[in-house]
Amino acid sequence: MKPPIRTATLALAVLLTAAGCAKAEAPQSAPAATSTAGQQVVQTPTGSAGANCTLQQFGGEKFDLKTATVGFSQSEKEANPFRIAETQSIKDEAAKLGIADLKVTNAQSQFSKQITDVQQLIAQGVKLLVIAPLNSDGWEPVLQQAAAKKIPIITVDRKINAKPCSDYLTFIGSDFYEQGKRAADQMIEALSSKGKVAILLGAPGNNVTTERTNGFKDRVKEAAPEIEISFEQTGEFAREKGQQVTEQLIQSNPDINGIYAENDEMALGAVTALKGAGKEAGDIKIVSVDGTRSAVQAIADGWLHAVIESNPRFGPLAFSTAQKFLDGEAIPEKVIISDRDYDTSNAKTSLGEAY
Amino acid sequence: MTSREQVSRTLQQHGALMVLALLVLVGSLAFDSFSRFDNAASVVVSSSFLAIIAIGMTFVIISGGIDLSVGSLFVLGGVLAAYGSQYGLLVALVLPLAACGLVGLLQGVIIARTGMAPFIVTLAGLLGVRGLMLALSDEGATTYLVKDPAFAALGQGQILGLTYPVYITIGLALAAMVLLQRTGFGQNVYAIGGNQQAAALMGVPVASTKIRVYVMSALLAGLAGALNAARLSSGVTILGIGLELDVIAAVVIGGTLLTGGAGGITGTVAGVLLLGVIQSLINQVGNLTSAFQQVVSGLFLALVVVAQRLLSKAQRLS
Repeated sequence: MKPPIRTATLALAVLLTAAGCAKAEAPQSAPAATSTAGQQVVQTPTGSAGANCTLQQFGGEKFDLKTATVGFSQSEKEANPFRIAETQSIKDEAAKLGIADLKVTNAQSQFSKQITDVQQLIAQGVKLLVIAPLNSDGWEPVLQQAAAKKIPIITVDRKINAKPCSDYLTFIGSDFYEQGKRAADQMIEALSSKGKVAILLGAPGNNVTTERTNGFKDRVKEAAPEIEISFEQTGEFAREKGQQVTEQLIQSNPDINGIYAENDEMALGAVTALKGAGKEAGDIKIVSVDGTRSAVQAIADGWLHAVIESNPRFGPLAFSTAQKFLDGEAIPEKVIISDRDYDTSNAKTSLGEAY
Repeated sequence: MTSREQVSRTLQQHGALMVLALLVLVGSLAFDSFSRFDNAASVVVSSSFLAIIAIGMTFVIISGGIDLSVGSLFVLGGVLAAYGSQYGLLVALVLPLAACGLVGLLQGVIIARTGMAPFIVTLAGLLGVRGLMLALSDEGATTYLVKDPAFAALGQGQILGLTYPVYITIGLALAAMVLLQRTGFGQNVYAIGGNQQAAALMGVPVASTKIRVYVMSALLAGLAGALNAARLSSGVTILGIGLELDVIAAVVIGGTLLTGGAGGITGTVAGVLLLGVIQSLINQVGNLTSAFQQVVSGLFLALVVVAQRLLSKAQRLS
């Protein structure tokens, strides 16, 4: 083969492989995106926590959502079910409401890029910003620009460390501390209050990791002091990293009884590692947070003990909150959604509602 | 020199600049908001940090080396600057520069004195420095906030709608151009990258030149990190992962040869802006999935490099 032909063939092969990879996750998310099952529900009565914020207090002007340019800044690649479902939910709801000009950016896990992305959305004249922040700190340049133009910011799934109702409008997300506590309850039950547990931590620098860790530890300390947390390491919310850390874990701590993974991707990575080490389903109890379809399936297969849901379908709630705000209603400083549990009793029947 | 040869030579040297001009033109025609000041400013401001690091990398690559540690030094510089800012402006600047300069010195000495491959030495730097940053920030969980208003102003203050780091970058780029083109040190960098043995025979101080190049690269990465921390008002710990590849890409797109011996600062700055403009255009489209965003930016980069390659071939043939 002549070099140019060989290069072309190679390029084609790479392209085909890439296309194959890109498709892999699609079938899973497709049904979840269109069905209304598994929609987010606001926690009552504590859902409207904190001081209330009105359009007048915020200092903005009323506009029509349908004709306005709306920006959504996603933090990570749509390469895991949570991000796929989150972006899809925002896009679907915008389409349903007839919001014609929705601009979506993706920071590909690079925080500097996310700052630039949002600044460029502002430069494009967006009237409303929905942001899934990669990191909780470091938003100064964006907040200054948005404040100068009185653009309301709704942050979803993670928080920004700033003042609600002035720097940003509100935060919509789960009670991550509560998720950690509930995960601990599941772990305590699985281990009958005794044993050694490892934690696969999420990515550092954001409130999700911190709160899921604190909730779990606090609950274990108060309810089951005989459970020892003997290993903690970050798996950065990624499947490969979760697998890698678990492989090291079973080398260094062969007597481990339970693994608490702070998201499903890391839990599934841990399952792969355990299978590779010749363990059987149920040998080590795994509890995780998220509620992706693969994880709920893993409960049904016996590999995971329980999953605490963290619902990523932010679209309906984000836009209804924005509409209420524009209509002059008071908006709480955080809108906390209620999440469910998946365990062996309901995994098979609830598979359709997982994302 | 025929006129055709001249044209192709200019094209190769300034290929990135021309593609940049073309993209800006297309972007302005296709999208109303692309050429708006706010958008242009966001591209320029965000590019300035990458540009500062890329200036140092240009020296390294021209000298025939590579520096993979810059992404880690960038994040370390930011964390140290934010930490140091509680003791005032001076500490916020000196602490990251001293630490990063020390790492650069260490890397430079190892590379110059033992003849170990820069790729391996700076890869060790990449891992070690990020580890150090994680140790300082409690595994990345502690984000130090910038307390000193004077330091924060360094990253956020504006002249004519552009923040100070943009002007600092322009100043550094001009100084680097003079250093590279008009001083003995600059000529030595080219000579070492062109043919190290010949340079040594001609009496070029190979070791000390190399050490200086790596110290400079590390200092600039630390400075960019510190300025970025001032801009964000915090020492964000998740920055700079894979940044070294963006920097190297910008330098190479800018016409600097990865094999060393040829290149320049103008091309590097154009390369950095080109990366920023491509991102901005993708954001203007505003509905590409993350996977396709990567495909598009990959294709653009491939196009630029292929064009340069063809042009340099045409130049050699004529």
